[in-house]
Amino acid sequence: MKADGVLFHAKHAFMPNSLGYCGPDEKGQIQRDLEGDRSDEELVETLQKFEAAYPFLKLIAKSAGRRVFDYSVPEAYWIGNRLLDLVPTSDFYSFSHHEIKGRDPEKVREVFRKLDGVAPPHHTFYVMSTYATAAVPDGPNITNEARRKIAEVVDNCRISWGTVRKVGKEELQVEVRRVNVDDGGLSLTRPAVKRVRYNPEVRPFGTVKAGDMVSIHWNYACDVLTSRQAKNIAKYTDSDIGLVNRLMKSEAARK
Amino acid sequence: MCITRAGKVVYASQGRARVEFFDGRALDDVDVSVVNAKKGAFVEVFGNLALSILNSAEARRRKQAWAEVAKAVGTLRK
Repeated sequence: MKADGVLFHAKHAFMPNSLGYCGPDEKGQIQRDLEGDRSDEELVETLQKFEAAYPFLKLIAKSAGRRVFDYSVPEAYWIGNRLLDLVPTSDFYSFSHHEIKGRDPEKVREVFRKLDGVAPPHHTFYVMSTYATAAVPDGPNITNEARRKIAEVVDNCRISWGTVRKVGKEELQVEVRRVNVDDGGLSLTRPAVKRVRYNPEVRPFGTVKAGDMVSIHWNYACDVLTSRQAKNIAKYTDSDIGLVNRLMKSEAARK
Repeated sequence: MCITRAGKVVYASQGRARVEFFDGRALDDVDVSVVNAKKGAFVEVFGNLALSILNSAEARRRKQAWAEVAKAVGTLRK
C-alpha cells in the first residue's frame, strides 16, 4: 500500500466529514493523521467507513487491477485520470444499484439510459448528477435564490481547483471558477478570487505559495496539484458538466 | 464526498431545520427553504441543502437502504 494514496484520499474526504455530511464520526482522527503526515491502519479503517467514497475506490481499483489506496485510484476518483476509462459501464451500472444504497434505482437507470451508458465513476459527476436527478420543486422554474443555493452546494461538494494568489495565516486567496446554474444547465463562471481555509500543518501547505494550483472541497484547500492533475481535473470536470447538461435537457424535455 | 441522505425534519424555523437521518446521525442547520419542508416531513439532503421531499413509502425504502449501509460500515447508532 502506498502511504501517499491514503493521505491523498484523506485530504479530500476530510472537510465534508468534519462538517458531518458523510463518513464516520472519527473525532478528529483524520486531521491528526494529516497533520502528522501519518498513514496507518487506523486511518485506513476510518476511510473504509465512508459509505460512498470507499466503494467508489474499490470499483476503480478492481477495474484497473490496482490496490484501493494506490495513489492513482483516489486520484482518479477525486481529480480524474485514465483509470476512469477502465471501469466497464456494466460494472458501474451494477455498482450504482447495489453499492450506493441511498439512491433511487429508477434515477440510476435514467442516468445510464439517457447518457447511453457514458457515466464515469468520478466524484464530480456523482455530485452533479445527483442534483440533476433530484426532484427540485418547480423544475426549471425555480427561483433565482434557490438556484444560487443549489449552485453553491454543487460547487462546494464537487472538487474545485484554482491558482493561489495570496497566502494568509489560515486562508488562501484562490482564483477559481465556480459552478453556475441557469436555464442552460450547469457551467463554470469566469475566474474570480475566493477565500478558502487551509491547514499549514498539513504537508505541503507549510510551503504553499502564490502560483500553486490547489484542489478545494467545501472551501478547504485539500492538496497542491501538479500541472498534470490541474489539466486532468479541468478536462474531467468539463466532461462531467457536458454529460450532466445532456441529462438535464433530457429531464426538461420529459417534463 | 457528499452523499444524499434521507431523514426526518424534527424542527424547522425560517427555512432552517434539524434533520435526523436514517443512518442515526443528525444535522442542526439544514437549509430546507428550497423545498419548503416543515416539521415531520421526510427530506433528501445533499450536503446541507434539502433537495426534495420524500413520500412515506419512499422514506421507508430509503430507511431500509440506509440501515443496510450503516450496518455494513458500522456507523449506525441506536
